[in-house]
Amino acid sequence: MHVYEVFLKKDGREEFRHAGALEASTEELALLLAREAYARRAEGDRLWLVRRDHVIAAADEFVAPNADKPHRHHDGAAVASRRRAAREASPDSSSSGTGGEALR
Amino acid sequence: MNVSAVQEFLLAFADDEHLMGQQHTEWIGVAPFLEEDLAFSSIAQDELGHAALLYGLVLELDGIEPSDTAIDDLAFARPGQEYRSCHLAERTTSQWSEALVRHWVYDTFEELRWGLLSESTLPALAAVTTRALREEAFHRRHADALLDELLQAPEARPRIAEALNRIAALIPGLCEPTAGEVAAIAAGVAADSTAGLLAPLTEALGARFGGHVDTGRVEAALSEAGQKATGQGSAGRTRRSKSFQPLMTRMREVLDYDPSAVW
Repeated sequence: MHVYEVFLKKDGREEFRHAGALEASTEELALLLAREAYARRAEGDRLWLVRRDHVIAAADEFVAPNADKPHRHHDGAAVASRRRAAREASPDSSSSGTGGEALR
Repeated sequence: MNVSAVQEFLLAFADDEHLMGQQHTEWIGVAPFLEEDLAFSSIAQDELGHAALLYGLVLELDGIEPSDTAIDDLAFARPGQEYRSCHLAERTTSQWSEALVRHWVYDTFEELRWGLLSESTLPALAAVTTRALREEAFHRRHADALLDELLQAPEARPRIAEALNRIAALIPGLCEPTAGEVAAIAAGVAADSTAGLLAPLTEALGARFGGHVDTGRVEAALSEAGQKATGQGSAGRTRRSKSFQPLMTRMREVLDYDPSAVW
């Protein structure tokens, strides 16, 4: 028996999305059962199955060091506030300026 | 066109589909594993859908609007002797092996049976056939995929063999025509007699089970049926088996709580 991860895609520009998983002894049975378990209400018109043991999964500690690097999550707020400060400090506050000085 | 004869012909198919669909739904929640539970009841719904469409055609031949109520009356409220189901579809089983083997046998036959209707002179019937054949391809593939695996498994193979032997005598009954079939063929509603499906069904059974299990009893039953001249000594599906009444009682259980309830 193998566990298969089920992906469905609707027509159009949507991407394949994970729908769930199931256990089956052959690829044919996995396909047939996935169709009824996950697509019987036409939830998608394309179906992918991937055997779970074929998924290349990274160990948790491999990704973990990236969890505490908030500087890589710039939502623009920090930059915007520094631009605002630079504009207000500038003698000609009506000009947009390049802000290059403040942002170096 | 002899309307009542054509109706009888259509009822035989509708009743088989209805009873088979109902029996498959009885596995909801108790099929051997969750995914199969979903797949088998989904197939059951397809069969019930075919039954409803066929009952609808029967009504339309009488100029009756095929409303849900009118279809339910045909499906649930006729006296037993007016049903034209085959005994394989009526049979009660509590064993999964038997339900699975019957699923394969029934759907193999059903696919052949629809094949007789794709050029029907009843346009609505030809349209239903196109849809049904698309669904049947999946039903067969589902039954085959399970049997492919189970016939290789030492624990399952004897159970499959046993199940096949238990239903062997009922298999030829699938091909038994109703008296109305002659008129249905004459009117071009069907291309040929269901009795003629005995040969391809026998061949398919041999290809599926032969080489895996002893098919002696099935072959004997089919060849005995084949030797009888068509219709000779046949009750034309007018007799109900002993499983029929208990099945009807199970099917009507909720309906019978309050027959006047509006659904």
